[in-house]
Amino acid sequence: MITVRIPTPLRPMTEGKSEVEGKGTTIGELIDQLNAAHPGFKDRVCDERGEIRRFINVYLNEEDIRFLTGKDTPVKDGDEVSIVPAIAGGTHG
Amino acid sequence: MLSIPSDIWQDMIEHARALDPHECCGILAGTDDHVTMQYRITNILARMHDEADLAHFDQAKLSDLKNLTPEERADVAFQMDAQEMSLAQKDIRQKGMTLKAFYHSHTFSPARPSLTDVTIAMEFENYRERLNIPEPYHVIISLEDKERPVIRAYRIQESQATEIPVQRRSLPV
Repeated sequence: MITVRIPTPLRPMTEGKSEVEGKGTTIGELIDQLNAAHPGFKDRVCDERGEIRRFINVYLNEEDIRFLTGKDTPVKDGDEVSIVPAIAGGTHG
Repeated sequence: MLSIPSDIWQDMIEHARALDPHECCGILAGTDDHVTMQYRITNILARMHDEADLAHFDQAKLSDLKNLTPEERADVAFQMDAQEMSLAQKDIRQKGMTLKAFYHSHTFSPARPSLTDVTIAMEFENYRERLNIPEPYHVIISLEDKERPVIRAYRIQESQATEIPVQRRSLPV
């Protein structure tokens, strides 16, 4: 199984869980499998073209999958995938 | 203490002014307390038309943002482009430097972290050590007084922002 760490903004999709387990041979398959287990998950992570949303980075262990082969990046049992939103903020009011 | 060379100090102000009324954002890197590199990062909010892309914001901020156009959202908030942020982090690692701070501008309010700034900084704390990223400071450029921009730096820990000294370092002659 692959451990997937879920950021707070996406936890409504995983019944509040900060970590879920998933399966697949690539990141893309893993996202599809998580979407089957947690309907709507893929829409929160990927845009309408199926690409990872621009405010999110997906790391396989410590490496951004954009520097590997994106959603085709192979994954295996024991891997850790982290979904990490980029820094944001805003003024008062 | 955070020591920022005068050219980067000035460029952060220029970055904030160039994007005003939108908020700007970026990354500072260096070694020890000395900043030596700056990365301007795109505030992608003005381009985001899908509300799912606003998921990062707390409920109060989200309620405000939903009532605004994407252009207006970038006036009161920023969202770093994740890819640019990641590329900057990779460049920092390859150059043997350390990420020192995230910066952003407040175009009409003081250089103090908002509740949203603190909430999102704490969210980032959940990942940072696992991803081998040292604790960043948070630098805010205020254009509240357009003629006299103010730059302040903060450490955000346990949902508290504590101001830290920030020094404008003269460049060697």
